[in-house]
Amino acid sequence: MDRMRINRRQLLGLFGSLGAGSVLAASGIGRAVAGNQPPRITVIGGGFGGATAAKYLKRFDPSVHVTLIEPSRRYYTCPFSNLYLGGLYDFEDLGHGYRELARDYGVQVIHSTATDIDTEQRTVTLAGDETLRWDRLILSPGIDIRWGELEGYTRDAAELAPHAWKAGPQTHLLKKQLESMEDGGTFILVAPQDPFRCPPGPYERGSMVANYFKNHKPKSKILLLDAKDNFSKQPLFQQGWQENYGDMIEWVSRSNDGTVIRVDAANREVETEFGTRHKADVLNVVPPQKAGFIADRAGVTDDSGWVPIEPRTFRSPQADGVYVIGDATQAAPMPKSGFVANTQGKSVAAAVLADLAGEETPDPSWANTCYSTIAPGYGISVAGVYGVRDGEIEEFSGGISPEDADGEFRRKEAEHAVAWYEAIAQDTWGTYQEG
Amino acid sequence: MAVTRRQFLAWGTAAGTALFLPTAGASRAGWERIDAARDVLDGAEPRSSGIRLDLPSVSQDGSSISLTAEVDSPMTEDDYIEALHLYAAGNPTPEIATLRFQPRAGKARVGMRIRLDESQRVVALARTSQGQWLTAEREVRVTSSGCLVRADTYASDNLFQTRIRVPDSFRSGEPGEILTLIQHPMETGLREDDDGEKIPKRIIEHFAAELDGQPVVEAEFFRSVAANPYLRFFVSPQESGELELTWREDTGEKVVESRSVRV
Repeated sequence: MDRMRINRRQLLGLFGSLGAGSVLAASGIGRAVAGNQPPRITVIGGGFGGATAAKYLKRFDPSVHVTLIEPSRRYYTCPFSNLYLGGLYDFEDLGHGYRELARDYGVQVIHSTATDIDTEQRTVTLAGDETLRWDRLILSPGIDIRWGELEGYTRDAAELAPHAWKAGPQTHLLKKQLESMEDGGTFILVAPQDPFRCPPGPYERGSMVANYFKNHKPKSKILLLDAKDNFSKQPLFQQGWQENYGDMIEWVSRSNDGTVIRVDAANREVETEFGTRHKADVLNVVPPQKAGFIADRAGVTDDSGWVPIEPRTFRSPQADGVYVIGDATQAAPMPKSGFVANTQGKSVAAAVLADLAGEETPDPSWANTCYSTIAPGYGISVAGVYGVRDGEIEEFSGGISPEDADGEFRRKEAEHAVAWYEAIAQDTWGTYQEG
Repeated sequence: MAVTRRQFLAWGTAAGTALFLPTAGASRAGWERIDAARDVLDGAEPRSSGIRLDLPSVSQDGSSISLTAEVDSPMTEDDYIEALHLYAAGNPTPEIATLRFQPRAGKARVGMRIRLDESQRVVALARTSQGQWLTAEREVRVTSSGCLVRADTYASDNLFQTRIRVPDSFRSGEPGEILTLIQHPMETGLREDDDGEKIPKRIIEHFAAELDGQPVVEAEFFRSVAANPYLRFFVSPQESGELELTWREDTGEKVVESRSVRV
């Protein structure tokens, strides 16, 4: 691959320039646009996208009124939850609260679930039927599972064969199952077709489960059954698996009958497209996904279940005054990652403020890095910089860890992954890792 | 099994120069822009009902995109779908595949995996046994995701290995779906190796399914069929019999498999 590599410093530089360039001459939008009433911007979802958007709206223009609606008081991130499964991270270190957003940035944080949206009246209904009015709405709803799309994979099935694709009780359930499995057992991970949250996620998960097995249950096996013929950072993962775990991990591609078409959660058994049955001791199904449910209520999803957006602004073409960011959107080639949601949070903050001020949207530029930890002290990454060309989102440059790197390089990337996590958590929620 | 981004770009350039007709206008039907499609129509005007073409509207992996095409038809001796032609207007050569059905297929529906070089329109043309033409088309956006950088080597250890799935049992005269796959790189002849040498074209060019010696479905594959050619189709047996499947490579090499069909 002859793609340009970007180092961490350049990425942070880009990142910084987006922030700086996007601070509009926006002071006093509130007074200018809406008389004495500052405009009300409501953000739904307090993950990487929503929390960043709320924070940066207030950073760019303290005069606007920003409300963030998020059910959890403490948000646990999907990024690094695989490291918890692998025994490298404490679960509590993945939790982030909202105190800093409220105290340091003046975001009004409401811990409730948005249950409905009226885009005509410009209101959002909360659990308990309270209604809030908004002038602009930013949705960062993440993903929901398409229950039943994969035959046999229902809510009940997920209590037996967890997905653990949203960090929380599902993650704990999977961890518990791994811990109670006997040495010599088989862990099966079912990976879906694109698009889904976190393209390298299933392969990092396989790596981290392998790390746990290597330390505690070395006779165990890992089978990755895939509905795809290739995956993110594939050669690097496969090299890393070989170097760290020998032949513990077997990956079965779609063309080798990896596509699972039926799940029997009670028996921890799966059936593939061409009729092979595999029996697991621990079964982890990463199921087909769609935009978080509130996007449907707002009427911004399309037939695919995801949300089309106008590339420069992330405004919905289907509802006035509604913007959508993060995993829920169709923003390919940008991947569905926490980092992407974070950078979209900044660009959407700038776009909303520009819209309120009657100004043109600043030219957006987005960045992404996906780090994956294959083993302790063994990390890999892929990075990209994105912009809009001819009305479409495109990758302008990008890079991936070299295949011929030495151990020192991999060790440093594992360290960079941790530094990345701490930096992005701080940038998103204003929180430092506690502990 | 994957085509790298660079190879895609190489394809793209070829497509750009070879394909875009100066007369192409946005309002024209997809088939009007494709020479090969106009040739098979030979002056006939297709109608755009009774035929469905399904592809994902956005695809993050242009090297293998699922396609389903279905044509409404009673599939009787007097009235059936004879042929289904599939085209990718923006590929270096637009033909994807031509499928020929017999009434005993029971249903004119196929599933395949195809290659798309770039965002473009995919077109289906079907001909009924009574000489009518039908057409459907889908716009597909192809991106390659920044988290989806892939390898560019084909596995060669299992070349010609097949996978087949036949329903456990059929009801007499009711169509059941057959799944087939053969391991094959489907080298386009457009790729270059590391030394800049063209890798010669090498594809599975023909597939045939026969039930007790009688043709059911035949397929002609072109370079726009994805590596490891995958085909799902229907067969509607009256009684138990033997289904014979034959794949032919452009070298002449053949792979033959058979499966019992139980009614």
